[in-house]
Amino acid sequence: MSGTFITIAQTASDSVGIVGGSDARAIIFGLLTGIAFGAILQRVGASSYALIVNMLRLKDLTIMKFFFLAVAVGSLGIYVTESFGTVHIGIAPLYLVGITVGGLIFGVGWAVSGYCPGTSLVAMGEGKTDAAITVFGGLVGALALALTWDWIEPNLVQPLNYGPKSLPEVLGVKPLLVAVVLTAIIVAFVMYLDHLSAGPKAAEGSETPGAVT
Amino acid sequence: MELAEQGHPSKKRLNWIVGGILLGLLNTFAVATYGALGASRNYVVVDGFLLRLFGTDLASTNSYLSQMPSRADWLLMVALGMVIGGFLAALLTGTINTRSVPQLWKSRFGDSKPKRFAAAFVGGFLLLFGARIAGGCTSGLVLSGVAQLSIAGFLFGAAIFASAIPTAMLLYRKKAS
Repeated sequence: MSGTFITIAQTASDSVGIVGGSDARAIIFGLLTGIAFGAILQRVGASSYALIVNMLRLKDLTIMKFFFLAVAVGSLGIYVTESFGTVHIGIAPLYLVGITVGGLIFGVGWAVSGYCPGTSLVAMGEGKTDAAITVFGGLVGALALALTWDWIEPNLVQPLNYGPKSLPEVLGVKPLLVAVVLTAIIVAFVMYLDHLSAGPKAAEGSETPGAVT
Repeated sequence: MELAEQGHPSKKRLNWIVGGILLGLLNTFAVATYGALGASRNYVVVDGFLLRLFGTDLASTNSYLSQMPSRADWLLMVALGMVIGGFLAALLTGTINTRSVPQLWKSRFGDSKPKRFAAAFVGGFLLLFGARIAGGCTSGLVLSGVAQLSIAGFLFGAAIFASAIPTAMLLYRKKAS
């Protein structure tokens, strides 16, 4: 989610914080979209502790290649669709301190658990009990954030806060053009990573053969 | 790529190219229909539900929790769907896995369940605490945020790798035990 709740929150109505609607159609589409999301992550191996941790140790870049490619295809898809139809784009607010601090904290949690907030849900569905514990830890962490929000917001979110900022807006270029260029750069980078992993480094990375869990 | 797959021979996985294209198309579909994929906000929403269930009014008095919806929306269903999708994909491919301690973890830290669970809990805590400060996670800020060309997504993506890579290297450094 793009953090849009920050603006939505100002209106204290019945629909506070609703993302994408709460009617029957939205519920069904959300569920089906989530099932597809979870199934793709599971089949690729993004919910595997070993594949995530070995990616972070730069020993097996399969998931990094998968993920970056997904970003590239998504960017192109979203802005091609936007050029001839309606899309629900939500640009996240850019606040330098909070995003950096939050990201650094997140990264430690990512390496320690081997999951992220989404893949832990998928891994829990697969039956992995440590992933269920990570989800529980996440619920507690989110609660801790809520309880400290009155300090965090003025100190980490409000300073150097530029509001929603997109790359095409800052560059003054058409979004589709930026998306095309970004996609090209990412695809080239992914091909480079793939080339690297075909080299001797990958052989070193397969020191834990069969470690799929 | 071949070598990477050789490292995981026991179950046939979906090729990363096919998976990446599928996930990119799914993200496009999501944004075309309701909104971008995301996960971390849902933890706060579920916290709100649980607090209401336990009869506290924190969900409506807390400045952060009160910004969250009090009923299911599209994005919450995405999270529920992810659990179901993981389950169904594992069930249909015979890869249901009820292990507590990952093999790789075992090879480094031993097979103590409490030790792994403690790490899984602390990791989860940091993930969501950090994600909610930043306003999103790998899904919302990177997969969706960068795809939508949000500058916040690029910054968050750089920050998470900047701490996750050294942490993983440190945890699995050669010396000790």
